[in-house]
Amino acid sequence: MLRSFSFKHSLPLTRVCSKSRAHSTLPSVSSSLGTLPTTQSPVVSKLSFFNSVTGDGSKIPTYRVLDGLGVPVEGAEVPEISEQFARRLYEKMQLLPTLDNILYNVQRQGKISFYMTSYGEEAAVIGSAAALADDDEVLAQYRESGVLLWRGFTIDSIMAQCFGNHEDTSGKGRQMPVHFGSKQHHFHTISSPLATQIPQAAGVGFALKRDPARSSKNIACVFFGEGAASEGDFHAGMLLASTLPTPTLFLARNNGFAISTPSSQQFYGDSLSARGPGYGIDTVRVDGNDVLAVMNAVTDARRRCLESGRAVMVEMMTYRVGHHSTSDDSFAYRGRQEVENKKKIDNPITRFRLFMESRGWWNETEEEELKSRLKQDVLKAFKRAETLKKADLKELFTDVYAEEPWNIKEQREELAGLLKKYGQVWEPWRDELKSFKDEGKKLLD
Amino acid sequence: MLAPRLRSRLPAFVSSVRDHPKQSCRWQTTASTAVEPPPASGHSSSVASSKLLRITRESALRTPGIVWADEEPVRNIVGGRETRKMNLYQAVRDALSIALAKDDTAVVFGEDIAFGGVFRCTMGLAEEFGRERVFNTPLTEQGIAGFGIGLASMGHTAIAEIQFADYIFPAFDQLVNEAAKFRYRSGGNFSIGGLTVRTPTMAVGHGGLYHSQSPEGFFMGAAGLKIVIPRSPIQCKGLLLSAIRDPNPVIFMEPKILYRSAVEQVPIDGYTIPLSRAETLIPGSDLTLLTWGTPVYHCESAIQLLNSPPPSLAPLIPPSLRSAKVELIDLRTILPWDMEAVVESVRRTKRLVIVHEAGMTGGVGGEIAAEVSKRAFLRLEAPVRRITGWDVPAALQFEKFNMPDEIRILDGIIETLSY
Repeated sequence: MLRSFSFKHSLPLTRVCSKSRAHSTLPSVSSSLGTLPTTQSPVVSKLSFFNSVTGDGSKIPTYRVLDGLGVPVEGAEVPEISEQFARRLYEKMQLLPTLDNILYNVQRQGKISFYMTSYGEEAAVIGSAAALADDDEVLAQYRESGVLLWRGFTIDSIMAQCFGNHEDTSGKGRQMPVHFGSKQHHFHTISSPLATQIPQAAGVGFALKRDPARSSKNIACVFFGEGAASEGDFHAGMLLASTLPTPTLFLARNNGFAISTPSSQQFYGDSLSARGPGYGIDTVRVDGNDVLAVMNAVTDARRRCLESGRAVMVEMMTYRVGHHSTSDDSFAYRGRQEVENKKKIDNPITRFRLFMESRGWWNETEEEELKSRLKQDVLKAFKRAETLKKADLKELFTDVYAEEPWNIKEQREELAGLLKKYGQVWEPWRDELKSFKDEGKKLLD
Repeated sequence: MLAPRLRSRLPAFVSSVRDHPKQSCRWQTTASTAVEPPPASGHSSSVASSKLLRITRESALRTPGIVWADEEPVRNIVGGRETRKMNLYQAVRDALSIALAKDDTAVVFGEDIAFGGVFRCTMGLAEEFGRERVFNTPLTEQGIAGFGIGLASMGHTAIAEIQFADYIFPAFDQLVNEAAKFRYRSGGNFSIGGLTVRTPTMAVGHGGLYHSQSPEGFFMGAAGLKIVIPRSPIQCKGLLLSAIRDPNPVIFMEPKILYRSAVEQVPIDGYTIPLSRAETLIPGSDLTLLTWGTPVYHCESAIQLLNSPPPSLAPLIPPSLRSAKVELIDLRTILPWDMEAVVESVRRTKRLVIVHEAGMTGGVGGEIAAEVSKRAFLRLEAPVRRITGWDVPAALQFEKFNMPDEIRILDGIIETLSY
């Protein structure tokens, strides 16, 4: 009747919620007045409002494994990971800022049109990816390239997409940088409109449930920010995944900002975690800068998702250290010092490095070697991507429909005719044509 | 009547060298650059050299159709009025500031508004008018539109921003089913005339699928809504103030590439420019070239290429066509559009080319072509031609071959003139 709402890793919540599932400012009532016929809601005679899911009006707690110095907090269960696995986690976490440093500057030099960094959110994304099965379907927002890196999407593929060259397997150069996608890596292609992926994830989960080969094996996993969670699509997605139900894992990156808008202006309630129980969804809030806490939470969330076939939500509390994108200067709306402090005091990469050092798994020499190697790898991929041409110009007209209707065919032929007439005499076109692999010559193929 | 209006509109085009040597110099300079290929990097290159922009105080104050907010319309416009150099986002800000100052019920809201907006259109307004009147909303376009409708239904002036026109679709239900039908469904009892939804539109050269679209066509069937697209700072200020004060809900789409690149001397007083009135920017007798927003400048360039082609293009442009007089019209209000002005022009020129960035199928051009074909059927000497984006999404790396640029417009003009 009342589904249990306990948090394996969250003792306070377990205690608070053991009495009743949620909305628990209302005491657990065994009413002499009976219950409403269809909802089992106990009838009471005392008027009482509630506005809390913790029962006592306190904030929903945040689950943590490592403190800021990488030391396990009292009572925390450190996941059993091998040295090798820890090194992989750390390497992928370090790869993100290495890519970000170079691609941010490449954008500043005008070589790519746009970029978005993952600074500050490395643990949230890599920790999640590490806890998922590599063939769980991921529907991401746009700041989760770490999932792809974890799954083996290459640096060359990242570069190809950002440069939009003919090796861009994400979208043939059609989309802005960071709009990655890979069927092979079970990573649905990013689209810029916010939150659209969230109800889609409910549908993906439903499809998985109906597929005998995957129903006991895989879940749908959707990433989104706390800003995107204000869109109607968030509510629709939560509702569908909860009600139908579908095995869909909602991974919220609460990084404090939606472009310039701080989360304090995004919602009034106790953030996204408070919404989960409203939809009947098992929910936990986790320190998103603690990669081990993220791993534990997502591992357990995934298990719940698979076992119950229902939606589960993890809210990862983190901080967007970088600007929203290369189109943004965040110091117009937040203090430089605030960001610097966050970088120093609450750095997810440092936290995990300290943990690894305490286990004797890492040292200064290895740190330098790793950074230097990653930088070389990224620079090599960048230099290669820079020289490659764009896809064939004919790709402008493909993939709109599965087949080519008359209007698109005519337009493709019209452009071919225009290029024949003006392509070599009109300099802007002549120069631009050279940047395409087919130089526009395959338009009539 | 016609001649003086044209002179005031286009000083550089129609003034004689003797009268305005300085402007004439500018024209010559511009003309000589026009025969050079513009830089490949930007579609906006044509904006910087445009003679359609009013860069002097005198020409700004003579903007056709301008209605000063503080005076009888019959009084002469020249006088002690001042202008200030503004780009388009500053003109938006100026209009919003006037709207807020003159109307206590006016509020400005949307995503990231408070710090100035991602395009800087609301810079300093929160500080000037307070956070109660200029505020951030949570990130929900359907919410923003619905909230604005509710506010306007109470007689307030609601000025909402949707951060990109590409992101207006979550608000489509509120705008099409609610805003557009509010008066009609209540038998005239309720209205939301105080609602204006501003949104940046059109391509910028690097926006890709979701920062480049021109969704005006999607709203064409929503009778009850008005759609306005300004081409320049002066136009933007006057049309935006008209939109805000219009007794109907208005979607005001600002071409985002023009935010910085279009600069004019803008009168600092409050004024409006009427909605549903097209403006003839360049008079002509041989072909009507109709457009709105960013492509106004590509059309201007195309006309220059036709009239004085660079050597590389000259062999492709029949000499007999080079003296053709192309009439350039900025439609400005897309819904309800100025049928009379367009049809009057086409009846004279007998040829119509429509240019818009949105794809051809379902684009606004189809609607206009149908109406013109009906009303000027026997006058037409060529089929109405549409030069538009192709019927494909706005692909990033392919944009230069997707957008209707000056060379495609030129070709459309040639084909239509020689039909």
